[in-house]
Amino acid sequence: MSILEKYLAGWSFRTNKPSFDVGDEVELFVTGRENGAQIARVGDSKLRLDDDAPDGLLDKRVRLKVTSFDDSEHVGEAEYVETVGESAF
Amino acid sequence: MSTDQTDGFGDDDLADDGEPDIEFYGGKLASAFPLVFFVVWAIVQSGILRIGDTTGLVAGMLVALILGLFLVKGSWTGYANTIFEGMTRRVAATAVVAWLWAGMFAETIQTGEFVSGLVWAADAVGVGASMFPAVTFILAGLLATGIGTGYGTTVAFSALFFPAGVLLGANPALLFGSILSGAVFGDNLAPVSDTTIVSAVTQDADIGGVVASRFKYAIVAAVLAFSAYLVAGASMSGLDIAGDAREILVSSAEPLGLLHLGSMAAVIGTAVAGRHIVEAISWGIVVAFVFNLVFGLADFSEMLVFRASEDIGIAQELAFLPFVELVEAGETSVGGSLYAGAQGFFPLIVLVLLIVAGAQIMIRGGGFRAIQEWLLNSVATTVRRAELTMVLGTAFVNSMITINTAAEIAIAPYIARLGERFNINGYRRANILDANTSALGYIFPWSGGVLVGYATLQGLPDEYAWFEQSMVVNPIEVVPFVFHGWLLVSVFIVAAFTGFGLEYISDRESEEVARA
Repeated sequence: MSILEKYLAGWSFRTNKPSFDVGDEVELFVTGRENGAQIARVGDSKLRLDDDAPDGLLDKRVRLKVTSFDDSEHVGEAEYVETVGESAF
Repeated sequence: MSTDQTDGFGDDDLADDGEPDIEFYGGKLASAFPLVFFVVWAIVQSGILRIGDTTGLVAGMLVALILGLFLVKGSWTGYANTIFEGMTRRVAATAVVAWLWAGMFAETIQTGEFVSGLVWAADAVGVGASMFPAVTFILAGLLATGIGTGYGTTVAFSALFFPAGVLLGANPALLFGSILSGAVFGDNLAPVSDTTIVSAVTQDADIGGVVASRFKYAIVAAVLAFSAYLVAGASMSGLDIAGDAREILVSSAEPLGLLHLGSMAAVIGTAVAGRHIVEAISWGIVVAFVFNLVFGLADFSEMLVFRASEDIGIAQELAFLPFVELVEAGETSVGGSLYAGAQGFFPLIVLVLLIVAGAQIMIRGGGFRAIQEWLLNSVATTVRRAELTMVLGTAFVNSMITINTAAEIAIAPYIARLGERFNINGYRRANILDANTSALGYIFPWSGGVLVGYATLQGLPDEYAWFEQSMVVNPIEVVPFVFHGWLLVSVFIVAAFTGFGLEYISDRESEEVARA
C-alpha cells in the first residue's frame, strides 16, 4: 500500500453488516460460539467455522476460507486454514 | 485451581472454561482490585489534589499491587509471577522503546530552536487580534506534531504566544483554548506522541499506519476548529492594553528553527512509508542533530555532554572535545537533549510496566473477563454500540484520570478485546482510543494539560509588568473554547453511529506489530 493510499483508506461509511464472497481468504479473530460451532463475528455479520476446525480458538487470529455466505441474513460458513496470531491482551 | 508456580499457566489467556488462574477472596471481580485502587489513587492525586506527578502514580500502583496480595486465596506465588508475566509482555516493551526514542527526538528539536522558528513564523505572518487564535492553533498543532508532547507545547505557547496575543487584543480564554487545541491535535497525530505509541502497540498496529489512518478524523475536526477560531476571534473582544506585541515575539524569534519541519518530515515520512518506528525516529534524530550543528541552532554539548571533574588529568586532556566539559568535583554529570529526552520518560516507563502487570492480574483472576462479558452481553451488543461504548468508555476514564497516558494504558485492554470481538481493525481501535484520550486530557479544568498551561499563565505577571493577575484564564473558563478537543470527540461519536472510517480486520490488515 502506497503512502497516499494509507492516508486515503477508510474515507467512507462502512456497513455494519459486511459481505463476503465464496472463496475469499480472510484473517479474523474467532469471537465466540453459537449452537456448538465457533464463529467469527465481523461487525454484525457472522462466519461459522467448519467442524474440522480445532477447538479452543476463541480470541485467536485465524485465516479462514469463506465457503458460503447469505447476503440477506449476513451469515456464512468458512473453512479453518491456520492460526496466525492472538490478541495483544 | 492452584496458583503454585510449578503449575505454570495455560497458553490460552481467556480459555472458555471460565476458571481463573488466580483465585481471590470476593470472587473474580476482586482481581480488579489493583487497577481499581490505582484509578482511585490517580483520581485523588491528579483530579482532587491536582498533583501531576507521574512518579506519584508509580507509588500508587506499587501500593495497589502489594495490597492486592492480601486478597489472594492460598499461595501468593502465582500472583507474584503474574506481575513478571505482565511486565515482560511485548506491548509494554514496545511502548518503552518507542518512548525513549521519541523523547530524544523531541528534546533535540526543541533544543534546536523549533519553538523560536514558529514564533518567527507568527511574527512574519503579521496577523491581527481576530486571527491570532486561529494561527496560534495551527502553529501549536505543528509544534505538538513535531515534539509529540501536548504538555510541552502548552507550556511553550502559554509562555510566549499567550502574552503576545493578549497584548495584541485577542480574547484570553479563546487564545488559551486555541493553544490547548493545538496540543490535542499533535498529541493525537504525532508518531512520536506517547499516546499515539500506546494506542498503536496496544491494538497490534504499526505506528506509521496508525498516523496515516487517523489523519482523516484529525483533519475534519481541525478544519472545523480552525473555522470556529476565525469566527470566534472576530466576534469575541479582548483586552485593551498599551504595548507592543511584536516585542515579545521578536525577542524569541529564530527563522532557522523552522528547519526542524524537515526533521519532523523525516520521522513522519519514513514511519508512514512503513519503516520501523525505531528506524523512523532514529532518522529524525540524525537529521535534527545535523541541522543543529550545521546551522548553529545548538552546540554539540547541548545535545550530549560529559561534565567531568576538572581534577582528573585525562578529563583535562579530553576537554578539547565538543562533548566534554570540565566542572568542579561533585558536580559531574552527563547531559544534553538526548539524555534529558530519554530521562523524561523514565517515570512513565515504570508506570506502564506496573499497569500492564495489574491488567495481567485482572486477566488471570477472571475479573477482566467478567467485565468484558457484561459489556458484550448488555451494552456492546452490536458493532455500532460497541464502538460507541469504546468512545464513551475512553472519554469517561480520561475524564477521571487526568494524566492521559496512564488513563489510556488502563482502558487499552478493553478497547482491544471489545473491538476484536467485532473484528474491528487495529487502526480503527487505536484511533478511537487515542482521539478521545488526547482530547479529554486538555478539556476539563482538572486535566493535566489544562493545569500545566494554567501554571504557566500564573507565572506571567512576574515576567511582564503589564500582565495583571486578572488576565490569567481560569481553567473552568477555557472549557468551551478547546474547539479541536470537543470536535474530535464529536467526530468519533458521529463515526461510531455512522460507520465513517470503520474498517474491519478483513478489510485491511494492520502491518506486523513487530514493526510497530
